[in-house]
Amino acid sequence: MSQGIVMSEEQAYALLAHLVVSAEICTFEPHYYGTFRLIDGASKLLEIMLAGGASDQAWLASFKQEIDQKKGWMMWDREGYFQFLHEAAGTLAGELKRRANRVDPEGVAATDGD
Amino acid sequence: MATEMSARDTRADTVMEVIRTRRVTRSFTAEPVSVDHLRTLLEAARWAVSAGNRRIHKFLVVRDPARIQLVRAVAPGMLAVPTALIVICTDTVKAAAEQVQLEKDSSTLIDVGTAAMNMMLAAHALGLGTCPVTSFSQSGVRTVLDLPDSLIPEFILLVGHRAPQRRVLRQGASTKLTVDDLTYWERYGHTTPE
Repeated sequence: MSQGIVMSEEQAYALLAHLVVSAEICTFEPHYYGTFRLIDGASKLLEIMLAGGASDQAWLASFKQEIDQKKGWMMWDREGYFQFLHEAAGTLAGELKRRANRVDPEGVAATDGD
Repeated sequence: MATEMSARDTRADTVMEVIRTRRVTRSFTAEPVSVDHLRTLLEAARWAVSAGNRRIHKFLVVRDPARIQLVRAVAPGMLAVPTALIVICTDTVKAAAEQVQLEKDSSTLIDVGTAAMNMMLAAHALGLGTCPVTSFSQSGVRTVLDLPDSLIPEFILLVGHRAPQRRVLRQGASTKLTVDDLTYWERYGHTTPE
């Protein structure tokens, strides 16, 4: 069964503000800054998921740590940063697949909404 | 004469040391910045060059954590949580009085930069950390800080005490630029003074 997480209104509004304001400033900043806003937003969401009691805490914490370590490469190592974005997408896809194939204790493959 | 030269060299060494060792701070402690230190930074800004000595910028200091969080909500470039902000604003009323054409006159933003740089160097000399932020919503910052329509927030300086930070770089990441990478002498394309 997919587990719910707790998200406070303050957390939701903070994430909402990040998304809306990022959309605005993407209209005048270099396009690749937009990738940074998205990956930074992912880090903020991971923080909420971790604090909200999501399962797979270890994987989420590790993924967040990697994002927070490497997102700054956008400024110092553009090539490494873009490579990291590709790898992060693959890493997340692998986790999604693992979750989709996970078998619950009753022997039924778990899916969202179970 | 020798003493005068020595004093001049020492002063230049001191200034260059501050310039070379300053870094952007991306993690701050919760320790507040003293009013005396903030006043020193504002004094540094006041001594910055200003085109035509027009002085069309105002500085808003924010120390209230709740207001800092509100600014952070509308400033995606504000990755860290500092204990103080100094927001540099263009005063459009003063600009109009000085006949400055804000849309055409690049010196307006250059003056923001010189004031900001003076503050960052002064902060570093005081042992404080700073981070410049330009990625924010002007309308958002104006709203959360209750700024009048006549003030345009141009730049946010995060100020605080530095927390330990570790920058992890990829092996083989790009190398640092040198002065020669950035400079021409006398004519475009000439990379040496000879």
